Amino acid sequence: MAIQTIEVRERVMARNDELAAQVRSRLDAHGVVAFNLVSSPGAGKTTLLERTLAAVGKELEIAVITGDVQTQNDAERLAVHTDRIVSAVITDGACHLDALQVLTALDALDLDHTRLLFIENVGNLVCPANWDLGEREKIVLFSVTEGEDKPLKYPAMFKRARHVVMTKTDLLPYVPFDIHAAMANAVRVNPELSFLEVSALRSWGLRDWFGFLRYSAAGEQVSA
Amino acid sequence: MHEMSIALEIARIAEERLGESASQLVTVAVDVGDDAGVESASLEFCLDAVFSTPPFRGAKGVVVRAPGDVLQLAYLEVDDGNPDD
Repeated sequence: MAIQTIEVRERVMARNDELAAQVRSRLDAHGVVAFNLVSSPGAGKTTLLERTLAAVGKELEIAVITGDVQTQNDAERLAVHTDRIVSAVITDGACHLDALQVLTALDALDLDHTRLLFIENVGNLVCPANWDLGEREKIVLFSVTEGEDKPLKYPAMFKRARHVVMTKTDLLPYVPFDIHAAMANAVRVNPELSFLEVSALRSWGLRDWFGFLRYSAAGEQVSA
Repeated sequence: MHEMSIALEIARIAEERLGESASQLVTVAVDVGDDAGVESASLEFCLDAVFSTPPFRGAKGVVVRAPGDVLQLAYLEVDDGNPDD
């Protein structure tokens, strides 16, 4: 038999990255800043978004795409706080969102009246790291009920992110969590990271978070 | 567990490259970086499963570890069924 070898050398993510580029150019054309929110399950993505939508959702014209594995629960929780379109992607068991899902979800959003777009990814610190969704930046939520070594265990996600939001800081007195060691571990993985500390439940640190969002949205308006 | 979606994407690329000779595919080699967030054994398992369904007829997945976060379909081997020259 004659075996023939065909060199391919094609990146597996090439097609996803192409679609992500389409998402990016559509968002850029409308002056929309998109953040990809990633974390372990239960770190507080939906709660932080609920508080954010309630406080500055209208002002900053925030839209949300949520990625739920099997339910619409997150979308329903967020819909209470906003009349802006919340577009839910049910991933049917998949561990991440991909650029095609986001590109499709954009059709359901009024981009002309959107300044900030949150893409709430599936709770998972491994898989979503590989999938570019066309976002401007990835924001990792890191709750104080996790381990300080999480950035060392899941370096890919922390390497690809730009910001870390430390969540549930109201629980710090009750858990053996050294927040400074945790942040030091994250910086070891990615020295470029910036940090915010919040408790969405107690409204701690939310002013800084909203300030960051206003700054991000305004920066885009100036350049748009 | 995104190895299955990666395997399916690899199958899509392979089918695009091979067209009608997809059924002659015998080996699929994938470069996987240490920081790519992909588990080799799991990916090989998924490749074997995906490439045992039409238009393929049982190609073997081979993972080649590499440094960095590379994740690419390296090469394909097809057997045209003709005897060697």
